[in-house]
Amino acid sequence: MTVTTDSAPDPAPAVEEGARGGAAVRRLMVFGLVSSTTAAVLVASAFTGEEAAPGIPMPGPLVAHGLPFVRAMIDLAAVAVVGLTVLPKLLGFGAPDRTEPVMRRARPLAVSLAWVWALCALVTIVFQTAELNPGQVPTIGMVIDYVSGVGAGQGLLFSAACALASAGIGLLALRFGESVPAEMRIVIALFGLLPIPVTGHAVDSVWHDPIMISMELHVLGAALWTGGLLATMLFVAWDRELLASTLPKFSKLASVCLVVVSVSGLVSGLSTMALTPGVELPGALVTTGYGWLLIAKVVFTAMLVPIAAHIRFRLLPKVERREGTAVATWAAAEIFIMGLAYGVAVALTRAPVG
Amino acid sequence: MSSLTEFLGKVKSVRRLLTALMLAGAALLVGASPAQAHNVLTGSDPKDGATIAEAPDTITLEFDQTVRQGFSQVTVIGPGESRWEEGKPEVDGPKVTAKVRPLGPAGEYVVGYRVLSADGHPISGKITFKLSQDGPGARPEDAGQSAEPAATASAAAPASPAAPQGPDLSAQAAEAAQNGGAAMAVVWVAAALVLLGIGTIVALRRARPSGERPQEGVAG
Repeated sequence: MTVTTDSAPDPAPAVEEGARGGAAVRRLMVFGLVSSTTAAVLVASAFTGEEAAPGIPMPGPLVAHGLPFVRAMIDLAAVAVVGLTVLPKLLGFGAPDRTEPVMRRARPLAVSLAWVWALCALVTIVFQTAELNPGQVPTIGMVIDYVSGVGAGQGLLFSAACALASAGIGLLALRFGESVPAEMRIVIALFGLLPIPVTGHAVDSVWHDPIMISMELHVLGAALWTGGLLATMLFVAWDRELLASTLPKFSKLASVCLVVVSVSGLVSGLSTMALTPGVELPGALVTTGYGWLLIAKVVFTAMLVPIAAHIRFRLLPKVERREGTAVATWAAAEIFIMGLAYGVAVALTRAPVG
Repeated sequence: MSSLTEFLGKVKSVRRLLTALMLAGAALLVGASPAQAHNVLTGSDPKDGATIAEAPDTITLEFDQTVRQGFSQVTVIGPGESRWEEGKPEVDGPKVTAKVRPLGPAGEYVVGYRVLSADGHPISGKITFKLSQDGPGARPEDAGQSAEPAATASAAAPASPAAPQGPDLSAQAAEAAQNGGAAMAVVWVAAALVLLGIGTIVALRRARPSGERPQEGVAG
């Protein structure tokens, strides 16, 4: 996944100067997000991998490592698409001469990342088919059987369809600009996230629906938070004037997302464990791989809080006064930790609960 | 005048946001329904870790949830890597039953399983039991007999079972109904297409008065 952000020259000289200075930090953000997610998902998956059953062929290393990786790339591409579609709402529509150059760079990126999202979702379907049929190269017939029989396959297919729809409407936005409603683009991108929890765990109880809704809120909140931060920092951080009007809006969104993500994450994680037969709650947190991953996510979220608070309460007033700040560096650290949390999240959806 | 258009624009964008939220809410309900539960092994016959005197002819694994038809694999490995399972395991609701050949020498037997959980994840694991007395199959020739299934076991395709069992049609039909299968996929695809269609129409209508700001564009 290569993401170049410094291709188009900026019209405003001051912005261009700043953008050049920030290119290294922006590359660091993108590279940090991808590498931290990849590292976290591979380590966490190895840690909680499927238990080998004696005498039963298990998936080969390509599937065992490739599946979690591609699955994590769906999340990252989707997060970036959500962030890039939210960007126009954060920028506002009041000063098109300032925001339009930014959006002209953001729109094509949103379209290509939507394609990456769709392709990763389709590759994941093939890998999950291979996971169920170890030792065989999946044929088209096997993939069709998998999709028609297993809800996770249908969920991924739906996500891929939404990603393609997102690419389609992104192309329209490329052609017609902001006259394509931003809300429409946001809803389609968020729609594509909804089937993702379906590919994870669920419990069978009267609490099934509340837990699913909690998971949906978790996925939506995390994507808006991470994606919004990524898009704001990649495209706006080096334009003080624009940042002064954009960051306060993102900050409000981020505060809501922080609460939603933490509460919904705890609710769905703990109740999934509590409602699984044979899992005793306080103890299972440290005796099962699922419990450890849950603790890791709580720790990552706890690490995000002070950084987010620093940006919100110390740096934001300076940004609003158009003073230079190290906000991009702090945000890069935040994005790195978010990447770790995303990697662990993917492993968590695949780890056995018991 | 400009403040009036600004106000109208605001009303319009609030209305659009509400529409978006309602759509998202509907999506939430659609998206929330199909997830199935993740299975956990809750019991087995013989029990995990049990010591039994009489060799069983079947091994039953019981899960907390319905196991999906197909994809289930069960192995029974006795002393000296000898294999004892026979044919394909049968799935009946939450129970997976595997036939075993008459068990051989006394010792530890390991039952390995890999089944497809209701939520679509493969789950695997093992249970062990101890046979305290030699079973009816503990004869010298079983060394040669057991080597043969072990050699072919790596092929995932099931060896033709000794007693071919017709697929349980009613169970498969029940599962198809539970999954919603094709009908659900059609609903999803249709929903995506409708959304894309609405988006396209709105985009084209908005694009017509060229150069206008979105808030002041024609009614969406």
